[in-house]
Amino acid sequence: MAYEFTKEDLEQIEKIKAKFPEVKPATLPVLWVAQNRFGHVEPEVQRLVAETLGLPEAHVHGVATFYTQYYKEKMGKYVLDVCTCLSCQLCGGYDILHHIEDKLGIKAGETTEDGMFSVQQVECLGACGYAPMLQVTNGKYVNHLTKEKVDNLIKALKEGKEPDYEQMEMPLRKV
Amino acid sequence: MPEVFIDGKRFEYEGEQRLLQFILDNGMEIPFFCYHPSMSAPANCRQCMVKIGQPKKDRETGEFELDENGERKIVWFPKLQTACNTMIADGMVVLTQETDELVERAQKDTLEFILANHPLDCPICDQAGECPLQIQTYKYGPEGSRFEVKKVHKPKRVQLGPRVILDAERCINCTRCVRFTDEISKSHQLTIMQRGDKNYPVTAPGREFDDAYSLNTVDICPVGALTSADFRFKARVWEMNQTPSIDISNGKGCNIDLWTRDNLILRITPRYNEAVNDHWMPDIGREAYKLFNENRVQRPAQKLDDEQINSSWNNAFETLAEKIESTDKKEILFIGSPHASVEENYSLMTLANLLGAKTPVFTTNIIEGYGDGFLLDDDQAPNTNGCRLLGLEEKDAKSLKKEVKSAKLIVLLNDNLIDREVLEAGDLNDKFVAVFATNRTETSKVANILIPVTTAAEHAASYVNVDKRIQRTFPAKETKYTDRRLDIEMSEGRLDRYGTSFDNWVTEDNKVDCIPFWNFVSQLGERLGLKIELRNGREILDEISNKIPAFSGVSYEEMDVQSGISLGGKKETVKS
Repeated sequence: MAYEFTKEDLEQIEKIKAKFPEVKPATLPVLWVAQNRFGHVEPEVQRLVAETLGLPEAHVHGVATFYTQYYKEKMGKYVLDVCTCLSCQLCGGYDILHHIEDKLGIKAGETTEDGMFSVQQVECLGACGYAPMLQVTNGKYVNHLTKEKVDNLIKALKEGKEPDYEQMEMPLRKV
Repeated sequence: MPEVFIDGKRFEYEGEQRLLQFILDNGMEIPFFCYHPSMSAPANCRQCMVKIGQPKKDRETGEFELDENGERKIVWFPKLQTACNTMIADGMVVLTQETDELVERAQKDTLEFILANHPLDCPICDQAGECPLQIQTYKYGPEGSRFEVKKVHKPKRVQLGPRVILDAERCINCTRCVRFTDEISKSHQLTIMQRGDKNYPVTAPGREFDDAYSLNTVDICPVGALTSADFRFKARVWEMNQTPSIDISNGKGCNIDLWTRDNLILRITPRYNEAVNDHWMPDIGREAYKLFNENRVQRPAQKLDDEQINSSWNNAFETLAEKIESTDKKEILFIGSPHASVEENYSLMTLANLLGAKTPVFTTNIIEGYGDGFLLDDDQAPNTNGCRLLGLEEKDAKSLKKEVKSAKLIVLLNDNLIDREVLEAGDLNDKFVAVFATNRTETSKVANILIPVTTAAEHAASYVNVDKRIQRTFPAKETKYTDRRLDIEMSEGRLDRYGTSFDNWVTEDNKVDCIPFWNFVSQLGERLGLKIELRNGREILDEISNKIPAFSGVSYEEMDVQSGISLGGKKETVKS
């Protein structure tokens, strides 16, 4: 399948390029434009980005592989990044991960057959205060997870409802 | 003059200089991996750590502040600095691992980190013996590693391109290869993939590393991560010996080293020459090593009943001498060669002159559009300008054919005229053709008498490149009639020095039965009653420099000192 940017994308890319004195720094934001359009940055998409920007393919490949947030293969519509780093692990991160795996019938690193969900086991996302937690498609955090909360989340996502931003209160330090 | 103090010693310097390069230039040493003098310094291996300080100056008077002992007060950088990307400044004080324990410790610990995931491949690694990582670990590294966990595994034997193979586990991510494709060859084919301990160099997915200069990355790789697909596992470095030479596959005349073992050339690597090729050479030039080993003409051969039959040297001299004597000198055509050295062409000229024949002719071997403006030139021959400066007559294919037609005896010096389609085999029918050749080719097939001559790897001779720079080779390979223990110009490797003829790794078979062209001409001259004294390249070039103004002042000594002499042509330096 040949990938192509739409006219709007190209306009956006021109705007991004105008922000920098050179083309090279535009690689990151343009990769985002590509990922938002196609849902991933497979090698062919990387090639498209390189051609659009007039940069070496190898450079774009290097940048895309450096950052885990760029998906180098096709992913589900919603990517659930479940944190299993230390704080989440202690608060039951693995329980949550295994619950999601059982519920969706896939293992971490896989995508459901209907293409709705991918599950990934990730390292610290910097929300140790609200452990255990997960992140939906490089975006919203869902915190203080319980099995019920996960069930509700998956149900809502299946209906196309994205979770709301959660306002988290930091526990006040007692003096 | 601005000054800098390194390990308590005072040095003066001029202009902008990188600290690491300055230290190396002054004969001191600091370990490093990612730095390369011809490329940018990203300082990502962190190995060249030094302690740097600047003297404190009184802002009002501009005088150096002194302590109670009358020494300058030094303000040290709060942390160690990498020497490779630090520019020297006036008054700078530098402490290296020789004088500072912290620096020594830092370098040791950095090496421990670099080695954390480096496999213990050395016994089977091609780089062993010429590996900066190996050498510097011996010199500056820790005794052992504190990392007891399993090493990270990465792909091995990745065919990056047709000529380069990657072993990702050995890579220390110095990015020299990536910077080479970005800054020197400008093909931008490589990048570092992933990050952390998973990273290694790759091409873009689905692309090959087919850069025309790709094998230079193998040379500059400070570990055994990039190896040459061709040379891989062929020989250990310490078994070979290294002889300086000149690339004869292109007019650019890159300076090279020939690596020999048991009189076989096993690989060719570039040799630094700022005026010609810097540290680099094209991949195609490295394949020329096969010319020295394979398909060589051995022993003179004479054509009887359309078949070349091996003959003796005496027969070769007799036959050719008789032919020359019985032919009208006007009907002898001497064809020189831009593929042969200055000395060989001069010998041919001497013979022609003394016989009273016409001046030798030659045709250039230039492919328009072949060059790339870097180290590949349109000119496919190493000595086109040499022939011109000697005064050989330059002919194009058409007029050469005409000359051939009117000749009866043709003496052809090592030039594959039929292979490169200047002549056709039919043009040489009914002529007596004497071919002096190094390799068996379509051209050598038509010879009525075929006489083997030495290659650039077997004699010391000089070549004039496209920029009119005269450079010379050294004998690297013995012939049947030379002995490296008796020839002071030849280098001796470990096997050459300690091997005996009873060892099973030494054979006579690799010595080719051939003699230098000038020796043949001298002996032929003796037979013909001509006074020709051409003994070796050195003496011949002295004679040339006395006789031909274009070569005045040129000698082997001077060429060795200056690594080549520019013969009045435009001076060109390779800087990309």
